Amino acid sequence: MLSRTVLALLLATAAPVLPALANAPPAAQAPHDGALVSTEWLEKNLASPKVRIVEVSVDPGVYERGHIPGASNVSWHTDLVETVTRDIVSPEKFAALAQRLGIDRDTTVVLYGDNNNWFAAWGAWVLAQYGLVDNVKLLDGGRKKWEAEKRPLDTRAPEVAASKFPVTQAASNLRARFGDVLAVAKKERDEQILDIRSPDEFNGKIIAPAGIQELAIRAGHIPGSVNVPWGKAVNADGTLKSPAELKKLYAEAGIDGSKPIITSCRIGERSSHSWFILTRVLGYNARNYDGSWTEYGNAVGVPITNVAGTVWGGK
Amino acid sequence: MSLASDVGAGATLAPAAERYRAPILARGVALVIAAGLVVAAQRLAAEPGGTRLALSLTFGALFGFVLQRSRFCFFCLWRDLLDRRDPRGALGVLTALAAGAAGYAVVFGGWLPDPSGARLPPDAHIGPVSPILALAGAAFGAGMTVSGSCISAHLYRLGEGSPTAPFALLGTALGFVLGFATWNDLYLAAISEAPVAWLPRHLGYGGTLALTLLVIGALAVPLLRLLPERETRPARVEPLRAVFVERWPAWLGGLAVGAIGTLAYLRVGPLGVTAEIGGRSRAAAASLGLLPDRLEGLDAFRGCATAVRDALLTPNGLFVGGLVLAAFAAALVAGQFRPALPGGGHVLRGLLGGLLLGWGAMTGLGCSVGTLLSGIMAGAVSGWVFAAAMLFGATATLLAGRRLRLLP
Repeated sequence: MLSRTVLALLLATAAPVLPALANAPPAAQAPHDGALVSTEWLEKNLASPKVRIVEVSVDPGVYERGHIPGASNVSWHTDLVETVTRDIVSPEKFAALAQRLGIDRDTTVVLYGDNNNWFAAWGAWVLAQYGLVDNVKLLDGGRKKWEAEKRPLDTRAPEVAASKFPVTQAASNLRARFGDVLAVAKKERDEQILDIRSPDEFNGKIIAPAGIQELAIRAGHIPGSVNVPWGKAVNADGTLKSPAELKKLYAEAGIDGSKPIITSCRIGERSSHSWFILTRVLGYNARNYDGSWTEYGNAVGVPITNVAGTVWGGK
Repeated sequence: MSLASDVGAGATLAPAAERYRAPILARGVALVIAAGLVVAAQRLAAEPGGTRLALSLTFGALFGFVLQRSRFCFFCLWRDLLDRRDPRGALGVLTALAAGAAGYAVVFGGWLPDPSGARLPPDAHIGPVSPILALAGAAFGAGMTVSGSCISAHLYRLGEGSPTAPFALLGTALGFVLGFATWNDLYLAAISEAPVAWLPRHLGYGGTLALTLLVIGALAVPLLRLLPERETRPARVEPLRAVFVERWPAWLGGLAVGAIGTLAYLRVGPLGVTAEIGGRSRAAAASLGLLPDRLEGLDAFRGCATAVRDALLTPNGLFVGGLVLAAFAAALVAGQFRPALPGGGHVLRGLLGGLLLGWGAMTGLGCSVGTLLSGIMAGAVSGWVFAAAMLFGATATLLAGRRLRLLP
């Protein structure tokens, strides 16, 4: 009860910014028309046959020990990628996955996961390349908010009737490749690169976040890219900031949607979170560069901006 | 010189004085500890994401209580069987394995309906099977004999005021550092290509459970024949006395361990007592420059993970803390808290045995709890291999030690 009151109050205070979204419906009634669904909406629609819920978490055992009732489990590092070559899942493997999950082209898919929906957003990026875009939603706040609100969890995996999702080729217009990024770095193309890593990684003080193996040989960032750490787009409860706040956040870094954007990070997974915000919440034209710093920072002879001057293997 | 004194005397404690009643002070302290554990669990659970921590503390406390009350000590149980042909403790371990295997099968069936593919159930302790695992098990068994207990038993005995346990645990931490130092060579020589063998992949859950129960049954039959004709316990024991003062029958402890193992796996993770000791040793060794720059492949294996965590409170740390505190409280009430000043023998045997325990637990990716209990319950071949090697190492060390008149 209390949480609903709080939600109502929040909605009331958010009302002044809502007109900014001219065609957005009132959030409380039909949040499923946008890119996000609220925990409250999802709990009311758990039994809907048109909704398939999919958890993409990074920590093992999280799904099994309690997931949103009816949710299926997808393992990002085996189901959504090719495990040997560094690539997104192949068309055949993706079709088999979609069939197993009971996803058709018109199914509303709600993705959620641990770690602020990082891997769920990465899943949304993979689904989008296979043509599942507008009907794919992220649960705003992810696992963290669902758990914090003490909403119900289930340990049983659902039995889902398989769909007939066809084998289709992945679209290439949502993915930036090394050549695209290099062209921007060399100013041969007028696009913007949004680097969402921490300022210390961006400036080249460190090559990888604390506790993560250094997988790049160089430190720094792609010339011309701007730094807006992914976490700045998120409220304390894990939900995304309002569209107006997000618009302002990126505009302050010079990104206003007037030019094509490429999102980048270390391995392309946190950057899918920002890619999702830019394309689905703000409607900007953005591609995700999944090669990210572990590809660019290892490439031979490419221009790099290294503010801190850190050199791998010694100063 | 006898290095033995009270080391390893756990299972052979004389029956508590018939009319033993703990002093008010002891009962008061135990009550304060119990209340403190409850309050701590409540406070942890109230924090966002704190459920796992609260449950770890609770399961740890329950595990410590059960270990202390049933004196669930692998070495003592084994020695009872060898020396006195008393099979009750060994039957208790088999009970724990049977109950846990049944519980795990139920959980697995819900989590991973098809075990035949390439997937493994999340974080179950299914380790690589190699000669190194056997070596680790044998070293661990030798460490049990030398120090008088395995690691989990040293932890509950810490709560009983054992003069050996602190040194054995210190030795264990040093053994872990030794294990890290030898890991890379052993990994490249034999572990990296060792199969991670999981029985349900080949036999299904039903087949694995049937085979496990069959093996446990086959081990139990000869033990059952050794049971004394009649138990020498009084006809009627007051219920509170039976729970808090009398030693629990080993089978009851076994059932409780199987149940706690299953519930812990369902909600938090497999039982294990060395992840925290290993993780802290690893951090300490790293800061002292005693750790190899990289530990090849180590963090990709299942088992008692020693990956360095920056959190102050970890699930396994709370589990071990709860275990020791609950064992202390239980020992106070039962009149089994008997602190003693350590002598040279305690220090020497504790450190030396602990070193072997730690090296074995690091190299075997867990101890008699994490690799043996949690492994066999999960249908991991690694659990059985570790168990056989551990008993071999313990027996061989005991026989050799007695022949050399170093061990009682």
